[in-house]
Formats: sequence, structure tokens, C-alpha cells
Amino acid sequence: MTVPPKGDAESVPLNPEGRKAAMAWDPGKDQSSGEQCRGYGVGGIVRRPGRMHITWQDDNTLKAEFDAGTQTRTFYFGAPQGQGADWQGISVANWDVPGTIMTRGSFGLGNIGGPERGGALKVVTTKMKAGYLRRNGIPYSENAVITEYFDRFDIPNGDSLLLVTTEVNDPIYLSAPFWTSTHFKKQSDSTGWNPSPCSAQ
Amino acid sequence: MKHNLNIVLLTALLTPIGVFGQTAPPSAPPARPSPAIDLSGYWSPAVNEDGLERGAGSEIGDYAGFAINEAGRLWALSYDPSRLTLKHHQCDGYVAPYQMRAVGNFRFWEDRDPHTMQLVAIHIWAQTTEGFRTIWMDGRPHPPAWAPHTYQGFSTGTFVGNALVVNTTHLKQGWLRRNGLPESDQANMMEFIVRHGDHLVDTTVVTDPVFLTEPEVRSDDFFRQPSDHGAWLYACDDGEEIIGRAPDAVPNYPFGAQPFAKEYSKKYKIPLLSGIAGAPSIYPEFPATLKTATDAQAEALLRPAPGPSPVSRAVDPEPHDGEIHVWPISAHVYLLLGDGGNIVVETGDEGPFVVDSGTGQLADKVIEAIHKLSDKPIQFIVNTSYLPDRTGGNPKLRAAGQDPSLVGSFFSMQFRGAGQGATIIAQQNVETRMLEQKLPEARWPMDTFLDDRRRKYHNGNAIEIFHEPKAITDGDSIVHFRQADVIVAGDIFNTTQFPFIDIKDGGSVQGEINALNDILNRTVFLHEGQGGTMIVPGHGYLSDEHEVVEYRDMMVIVRDRVRAMIKSGATLDQVKAARVTADYDTRYGANSGPWTTDMFVEAVYTSLKQAPK
Repeated sequence: MTVPPKGDAESVPLNPEGRKAAMAWDPGKDQSSGEQCRGYGVGGIVRRPGRMHITWQDDNTLKAEFDAGTQTRTFYFGAPQGQGADWQGISVANWDVPGTIMTRGSFGLGNIGGPERGGALKVVTTKMKAGYLRRNGIPYSENAVITEYFDRFDIPNGDSLLLVTTEVNDPIYLSAPFWTSTHFKKQSDSTGWNPSPCSAQ
Repeated sequence: MKHNLNIVLLTALLTPIGVFGQTAPPSAPPARPSPAIDLSGYWSPAVNEDGLERGAGSEIGDYAGFAINEAGRLWALSYDPSRLTLKHHQCDGYVAPYQMRAVGNFRFWEDRDPHTMQLVAIHIWAQTTEGFRTIWMDGRPHPPAWAPHTYQGFSTGTFVGNALVVNTTHLKQGWLRRNGLPESDQANMMEFIVRHGDHLVDTTVVTDPVFLTEPEVRSDDFFRQPSDHGAWLYACDDGEEIIGRAPDAVPNYPFGAQPFAKEYSKKYKIPLLSGIAGAPSIYPEFPATLKTATDAQAEALLRPAPGPSPVSRAVDPEPHDGEIHVWPISAHVYLLLGDGGNIVVETGDEGPFVVDSGTGQLADKVIEAIHKLSDKPIQFIVNTSYLPDRTGGNPKLRAAGQDPSLVGSFFSMQFRGAGQGATIIAQQNVETRMLEQKLPEARWPMDTFLDDRRRKYHNGNAIEIFHEPKAITDGDSIVHFRQADVIVAGDIFNTTQFPFIDIKDGGSVQGEINALNDILNRTVFLHEGQGGTMIVPGHGYLSDEHEVVEYRDMMVIVRDRVRAMIKSGATLDQVKAARVTADYDTRYGANSGPWTTDMFVEAVYTSLKQAPK
């Protein structure tokens, strides 16, 4: 929950360019230049302490709002709208259903993987502004491709959990995919919803 | 921190995610029975987060993000990493909730019925500590509460949506984090294992009534390896790491004296409260809370809070349904539960050899259960102490038995009725105490011993009976079935309460510690500190050396605290008020009944005051 010190890129597969960018982090400069939302972009927003509010905008569009930094993401199941080039980029969504091609096709071999059901929400995001994986300036570039899976689980105490698995591929700053998994607990109401502005500090 | 929970606000419109479809929007997949997900293969941890925790190990003193209660916090703050130098801790395995987070590679494979190809089990082999998990997929039930606990626990699984959902019970005490943050033997774990291509995520939800106030949620990422990376073994034998250390030494910190929480706070320039706050540290409001937190608030959490002690939140492992339940321990050695105290029966070519006889309330049913195990009359009964839960069934069990080794022997000319009835064996003080208390003669042992060892070869087992002086009472014994490798501990060890140290009948704290160590001197673990020699407690679930070690540690730590307070001149009331058992109360404590926490503390205090200087 606290911002790590400058240069602390522990566990992040930064390449030399990425390390150089991380060491150039200047939160004061970000704040003064209007770039204070770099830590709240698609590559880092689910990792910020805060709450997420997800609703269907229409039959083919999910909206995910975040109180941290007052950010909104839009997941398009159909053709995406907009041009991107903002903090949250363009997100294309589909349902990732387990099973093999055999389960869906008809090869006369039976249901090899079993019948289909359920699955995760898969979201692929591109065309975003460059931002920070971590608030201490660990960078991702505008060329990154961010793939997320949203899975829901019910646990014995009655809580419902949402697991967001994130894979960041960035040809500019990363030498390997960067994987994280983040969990959320479902609330029955908006208690604690506290939209706050981005802060680079 | 990845184990921190953010909050999600989901409206009903989103529920079609995954398997929770209710009002499916156009894009949602159809609801059908769940498929099996193939998890087979080699998997390596993706340590893009929590690298320290999943590698070298977390900072000692960093307990943030865990909903620990007072007992959990104080247990961690009392923990001294040097404890791992003790012989019986050197090979400790990892409990499943930590194993999946530990450094090292994993292999998953399936076990299918060769005739039906139905999935019977999914196995997981963890490189570190050779953690071997079996997730039963064939619908079998979990074992009863009195079954042994293991590091990996007992797991069953089902496929739900795109996840393998695993329920694990019967875990041993271990840690949630490799810095002493404890997980109790009462913890259960639910897992959701999902696979997205070559990326696996295991989300673990640990519920622990002893140390946590709410479930602990974490997720661990793995990536698939194309081939076997070898190096799967983790050989461990213990040895002397510190020569000359006293056998009853267990490294621990007095409350308030552990330096690491403060060191951690200083090193990372964060408030002391941030690492020890428990559940609040999970939620997004916590950073704001820290801004107004005072040093005094944090300092207060380093010691037990004043006030009454909580009671045990452990499941009662003993049946109370009026029936006798039989659990096989090893070939021809059985545990009988249900009559208010554990009973052990060894069978073979000769008459049954019985250790302890319960309270006697269900003696007829005990006899019936023994007759189902052997068609011969009970030949020997050993009492591990004179206490009523050990000897209450003596009269009926004795009457139902016969000792053919006496019939027609020299003794038959000396004693009328020699061999009529089972022979009851015990240390002499058992008889002395019974005489003092004018207990019925039918309950008395007729074959007593004074020395520290009595031995018999019976039913193919070398059986040794060792006197444990001044432990619970002055007449305690343990019984070791050598071939079966089972030790019956009597009330010296149990999994349900603090040791019942009966000072007036000769019990003592040091004798109890010595007795527990004597048990440990006779055990051999099978693998990574578990299995091998099985230990039958007086009350509670079938154990191995690990449970005895934790019990011994607890006894030593409480002794050290009380001894230090006595040395500084504390009265009994002051010792009680200091809550010297605070980190163990939610596991063993009681405020009512025959053996309360206060009575235990008083026994420790009295015993130490009586001890020679």
C-alpha cells in the first residue's frame, strides 16, 4: 500500500531501458506536468488500493470504475470505440471458455475436454498512454499489450471474490512478461467508495 | 502487496462472469456441466510480485496484509527463528497454504482409473520439502476429526466453471509466512486453481479460527515449463546444530522483546502499526488510518491486552455420540475413541493388550469393540496414570478378560483366582494414589513396577512401558509398541487443552517437559518431520512427533514466561493478569470446565515456586 523507494523494481523483469526509465522517475515533475495519473493507468490501476465498480454500460460493453485516481475503463465485446491514447487505452473483451478445439468442433471423437461452461472474462488492452506498473515509476510503454483474466469465486464465509490475472508484455521496457494476480472482495453496497484524484506523490 | 484485498463493487449485471450466470447478457457463455481442466505438467513460480516472500523469505516483523488476531500476532512476535535449529524443527515440512507459495518447482499429474478413465486424483509434487499433495476427485469424504493431520492435509476437489476448487482439512500447525506468522492445525483451506494457457493461478483462502479473524486470501502465479527440470528431492536429516544446549530450551522472545517488528518499521520507514495491525491492514483505508495512529497504539499490540482470555476455538476431535469409534493406527494396533479418553488396543495371536480403559461410562461398548478386533479375552491393561479417564473402565475390562500366562503358573498356587480377569499393569504410584483416594479395589493395578522401565513381548510386539516421573502426576507412564512404532502418551500429551498438571498428585512443569522430550527422544519421522512414529494423545486426534514438538514448545515457552515473572517477584495474580498463555488461548484455553487456563497457569506457577532453586 505504500510507494516503494525509487529504483525498487524487485521482481519486475525490466530490461536496461526499463531500469533507466525507472531511475529517472521524478514524482514532482509528473505532478507539475499533468502526468500525475501515470500510476493509475491500465498497467497499474488494479494494483492501487481502492475500490472498483463494474456495471454493464450496454449489452456489449462493461464499465469498470476505480475510485483510486477516479479512473474508468471500458471493455468492448464488439468493435471498440475511441482511439485510445489515454491512460486506459482500448480494451477488447471476450469470454475465455475452457476446453479444447475438440470440444467445440465436431471431429467425431467425442467431448474430449468435456462440455463447456463458464470461463473467465478476458480483456486485451492496447493503445494506452505510457504509465507505471508501480507508483515508484516502474514503467510500461504505449506499445505494451496488457492481457487480463477476470475470474469469480465464492468462498465459505459467503464472500465473493474476483481474481484479476494480468500479463503485461512490453517490447520497450520488459525483458519478459510481467504477471500479477490481484483479488477483490465483493461489497453489497457502495460503502467506502471514495473517488480521489490522481497523485504522483 | 498481492495478498491485500481491494474491494470490488459488482452489480447484478456482472454476475455472468465465470460460473455465476443468472441473467445472462448476450455475450455470456451458456451454462453447462463443468469440464475437467488439464493441469498436468511442470510449473514454476512466477515471482513478479512478492519476490521476497516467494524467494529468500519475508522480513521477520512484516505481518501486514494478514487478518491475524491477538493470538496470531503474539505467536509471531514470540517466535525466534533460532527455533529452527532445534533437532525436531530442522526438517519441518511446509503446510499446504504456504507450500504453494514457497520457492521451488511443481509437478501436477492425474491419476485415472485404468478401466473407466475416471479422474481419481490430481497429485502435486512440490520441490521444496518434497511436499506431496493428493487432491481426491472421486467424491470420497474427508476423514473424521480424530484422524492424523499432515503438512499437506486432506484435499478433495471438484471442477466448478473454469476452476478446480479444492477443499483441504487436517492440516498441521505451520506458517502462513516463512517468518513465524502461524497457521494452526485448525485451519482449512479452499483453493481455486485456474489455468489461462500456460499461466496458472492458485488462489488460496485460508480460514483459521485460532489465529485469523477473517479468511486469508492470496494468489500465486505459475508458468508452464516445457520439460522436467529435475532436482525434485529434498533430503533432510536432523543433527546437532548447537552443541551443549539444554534439552528443554526452545528459543522464544518474551512479549514485547522481539526486535524485528521495530527493525522492519525503521528499515522501510513505515509506522510500526503497519506490520502488526491485522485485518485493517488488508483494506484500502489502512494508509489513512496510519496517518493518525500513535506509537502507543502500536506498542500496545506487542503485548497481551488486559482482560479475560479467549477460549479455544478448536474443533473438539472426540466423538460424543455414545458410540465407540475405532481407527486403525498400524497393523494390529487400534485407537478407540468415545469413552472420554483415548484407548489403544493391540491384537494378535495372544489376548488383546489394552492401554487405558476410558472413563468406564461406555465400558460395555469398549469391550464389544475389542471383541470385534479379537476373539480372545483381554489379557493385559496398562494404565498410563491413575486419573479417571485412564482407569474408569478397569473393573469391567478386567472382568471381561483373562490372563492365561498366570493360569496354571506358579502364581496360581499363591493367589486364588490368578489369571481370572485381565492383568492390570501400572507404575506403583498409580496404586498408591488409588489407595489414598479410596478408589474401588476393582480399579487397582495388580502388577506394578517401580523402576523406569517395564517390558513385555506380546502379540509379536516388543512393548516398553516407561515411567515419566512427576509429569501430570507422579505415576505417569508412556507405552511404546516398538514393531508397530506407536507411543501411547496418556494425559502427558493431548491436542485439546493445556496439560493437566496435577500438582497435588505429584505432577510438575519440569516433569511434564521432560516427559514430552522423552517421547520425542523415541520418535523417528518418516519424511520431513511427519509420519513414522505415531503418538496417541490422552485426548484428541492421532498425532506424530510434530504435534508433540509444538506442545512441548508451548509448555517450555509458558514456563519461561512464568519463571521470569517469578524471578522478578510477581505474585500469582500478577502472572495470571499478564496472560502468559495469550498466544495459545485460542487453541487450548478454557474459562470453564475441569481444566481452565487459570488453573493451568496456577499449576505452572505453583510448580515453579516449589522447584528447588
